[in-house]
Amino acid sequence: MMPPGNLRRNYAVLAVSIAVAAVFIYAGIDKLRDPLQFADSTAAFAIVPAVFINLLVMGLPPFEIACGVLLLGPWTRRIGALAVAVISVVFFTALASALLRGLTLDCGCFGVGAPSRSRMWLELALDVMLFSGAMFVYLRSITRLPAPAP
Amino acid sequence: MPNSDLNSRNCRTSAGSIATPDPARLPQARSLAWQIVRDLGGVAILAIASLAAGLVINRFSLSPLPIVYQTPEQRFDAELTTLVAAPPFKIAPAATVGLDEFRSAVASKSALILDARPSLFFEQGHVPGALNLARDDFAQDYRQLSLPLKAATDKPIIVYCAGGECHDSRLVANALLSLGFSNVSVFTGGWDAWSAAGMPASTGSVR
Repeated sequence: MMPPGNLRRNYAVLAVSIAVAAVFIYAGIDKLRDPLQFADSTAAFAIVPAVFINLLVMGLPPFEIACGVLLLGPWTRRIGALAVAVISVVFFTALASALLRGLTLDCGCFGVGAPSRSRMWLELALDVMLFSGAMFVYLRSITRLPAPAP
Repeated sequence: MPNSDLNSRNCRTSAGSIATPDPARLPQARSLAWQIVRDLGGVAILAIASLAAGLVINRFSLSPLPIVYQTPEQRFDAELTTLVAAPPFKIAPAATVGLDEFRSAVASKSALILDARPSLFFEQGHVPGALNLARDDFAQDYRQLSLPLKAATDKPIIVYCAGGECHDSRLVANALLSLGFSNVSVFTGGWDAWSAAGMPASTGSVR
């Protein structure tokens, strides 16, 4: 029988996975609805060269949805969590760089909105939370892998 | 062994005693690192598969994106260029005015007069007070003339080109109607009829 501490941790991993997955699936579906607006939001960051913007805009929503779906499966959760952690670092870097450069923009993270610096700070905080959640799930999953054969 | 060497090879615990790395844990750490590298490979494969899926979704979407991003200005230019690129047989007939009506509009300055010919012909001679909104450079000219055009939204606009079989004036007139200008007509006689009637002309690149 599993010790109560482990059981609580497993429930915590499941809860965090579901929460992060919900955010990513919602964000991915929302970006699919208006790719042109998302492309303009991406261009406003002035980070990605113009030739890659539309490729990023096409690839990111399926990637986010896939991250969310992978997080929900017990056997695929590890890859989903690591993917969320990696993409959260990318989002954080882009947002922080825009804030440091004094840009006021709509990041396009969750649908269309008015450009706002306070919203950018909120989304930066959300990125930190998503990264922390994803790392928690990933580290919990990876440390539960079977030990290598002697 | 000197003490400093000993400290560099081992680490101190919080209690201050010296702890040596457990050799039994090394294979486990290596395996964990290898697992992280493999997982990162999995993330890379996921990214490539997502891009492929995104390209397929875009291919079958109702308004697919081009592979290379276009700024809103570039998209507007392309839209304007498309507006004047319609073949003449697809153009809805715009209202037309004759020479007398055109002459009185020019004299009274009651209408905005637009010359749809290329800028080279416009510079050689045009109707006094006319602005050059060339069909060939429609997107660029339209943006340059945004102020006078905005002021003439409800004012009559008369467009002319060379005359005869020239379609530029009708293409520009229909493009303006599509862009929300309500009172646009075409002087069908064009520059040929105007100059043949011995009417005054201006030269230069007034825009």
